Amino acid sequence: MKRRGFLTGVAVAVVAAAGGAAAWRFHLFGPYYPPTPYDDLLKQIADREPARIFGQAALRTMPGANAASLARALRTQGNLTALAARDPANGHVVEVVGWVVPETVARYAALAAAV
Amino acid sequence: MSSLLDARSLPKDTVLSTDLAIIGGGPAGITLALALANSGLNILLLEAGATKFEAHSQNLYQGSESGVSYVPLDSGRLRYLGGGTNHWGGWCRPLDEIDFESRAAVPYSGWPFTRKEIEPYFQRAQQLVEAGPWIYDAADDAMSDLGQVIKLGDGGVYTSWFQFSKTRNGILPTHFGARYQNDLKAAPHVTPLINANVTGIRLARDGGQVDHLDCATLAGNGFTVKPRYAVLAAGAIENARLMLASDDVMTTGVGNGNDLVGRFFADHPIPRNVATLVVFDGGLAPFYANALTLPNGAILRAALSPNAQFLRQHGVVGSLTTVENDVKLDPFATAAVETTAEALGVDASHARAFSLGCGMELLPDPERRLTLSGQRDALGMPRLNLNMTIADDDFARFRLTLAELGRQLLAARSGMLHLSYSTRGEWLKAMDWGNHHMGTTRMHDDPKSGVVDADSKVHGVGNLYVAGSSVFPTYGSSNPTMNLVALTLRLGDHLKKVMA
Repeated sequence: MKRRGFLTGVAVAVVAAAGGAAAWRFHLFGPYYPPTPYDDLLKQIADREPARIFGQAALRTMPGANAASLARALRTQGNLTALAARDPANGHVVEVVGWVVPETVARYAALAAAV
Repeated sequence: MSSLLDARSLPKDTVLSTDLAIIGGGPAGITLALALANSGLNILLLEAGATKFEAHSQNLYQGSESGVSYVPLDSGRLRYLGGGTNHWGGWCRPLDEIDFESRAAVPYSGWPFTRKEIEPYFQRAQQLVEAGPWIYDAADDAMSDLGQVIKLGDGGVYTSWFQFSKTRNGILPTHFGARYQNDLKAAPHVTPLINANVTGIRLARDGGQVDHLDCATLAGNGFTVKPRYAVLAAGAIENARLMLASDDVMTTGVGNGNDLVGRFFADHPIPRNVATLVVFDGGLAPFYANALTLPNGAILRAALSPNAQFLRQHGVVGSLTTVENDVKLDPFATAAVETTAEALGVDASHARAFSLGCGMELLPDPERRLTLSGQRDALGMPRLNLNMTIADDDFARFRLTLAELGRQLLAARSGMLHLSYSTRGEWLKAMDWGNHHMGTTRMHDDPKSGVVDADSKVHGVGNLYVAGSSVFPTYGSSNPTMNLVALTLRLGDHLKKVMA
């Protein structure tokens, strides 16, 4: 490899790394969520922002619930997508300010809002 | 062809004798007159109004109201030939089998017969309302070229279908007065008499028979009709008024020995924007929001209705929920949709939302009631007061159906639902009414529970019958016109036998 090519490659890599670091530091590609003890559950939600917004209302329908209690219950139940699909067929739906949603979705959203 | 006879031209104190007097020239009265036109019976069809709207005649309908806010009594009906069909929307759907059942969870429910009793009359009724070939709930296939029904999981709500009375120059629907006026004129034994207000049903002294009818016009000339038989077909409000006001022999009113006439008044509440339907993939067949015409002329529109099993299991009553308008979701609603769709593994990037309206059935309520007021109209008839009620339970039961629809959408991963109202105040603010007057002379085998028997004959009065939706003891959520026409055709067959 010629020297000029090598230096160009290094420069591109440095710029890319700096850009990535800046994007991470300043949350250029979406909100930043600090690590929580519940990330094993929250990672199942691809986009936490709408879940957090909806979850604030869901949380209000669950008196006494907090992140720890929600997480405890959810860890015994299993995968979000599988449960969300199964809940309605089993009659496990709840109303959150008028929205009829699977119970599990309401709980995960509440967790997203509670952390 | 004869012409319509105007009662104002009758000499004062004229006495008209006839085999059958039909009181009221709306859909029931016109249907009955046409059904018996070739029976050999002489029929007098007494229409209180003219052939078009006249304010001074319409004013006779004014009354007072108490209770829940309702349509003024002179607004929801029309006093001229054709009656309520002069302003109906043409919506047709047969009553369901369950509408005839007595159900423990629905107090006072049940007809004295099953739907099978009027089924033979549906086809002819369908012809009279000019709603094209009979399709209704077989329409899923018939309409499949125009789109697919909403995918729902197993459960209590399904896509049901309305048909519509035909359009003329783009205007719905069949107005019975205009449409059948020439048929009435052409019928050799039918005499349609307009501007003929019946002001009293006069019973024989023992109360067991109608002796004669007192009649009057707004021009001041009174006359008498002496019929062998009489049929009240003036609508659920006016039928009750006439029976209650005719209190010279039976002091509580004709047929009112058990204080039932005027009770159990019903209409279909039509609350607006009851819910928001979100369809995840954005695809909603056009027949949900609009009536579409098939090549065979049938006009159909889809609705969402609870099935019989759900009605029985959950003690709810009927409802027909329709898609109304596109709506834009606010940020919170968008968050609800995105969160739910993502959890279900569904792409909702093209989701669309629609407002839903509905027509819902009321629980029978004896306190929803018409009584005579102290006011009198220009003919000296007592005016009515309506005490209108709607229970929290009525809303709660309908809400169960909406929640079930929401559950089924999620189960099918096709969409989701937002219920708009949860308090009585919210429901009442959104309330509109169908002007489907029903129930005031309800049908029951037992005179203690009904004004008319299973043949529509007034209990205790040998020659007086009632036609129309005032006899409906349970109402269903279907629009009443086509059903009352079918029931009237059945009455016509009965009268042919008993009057022969």
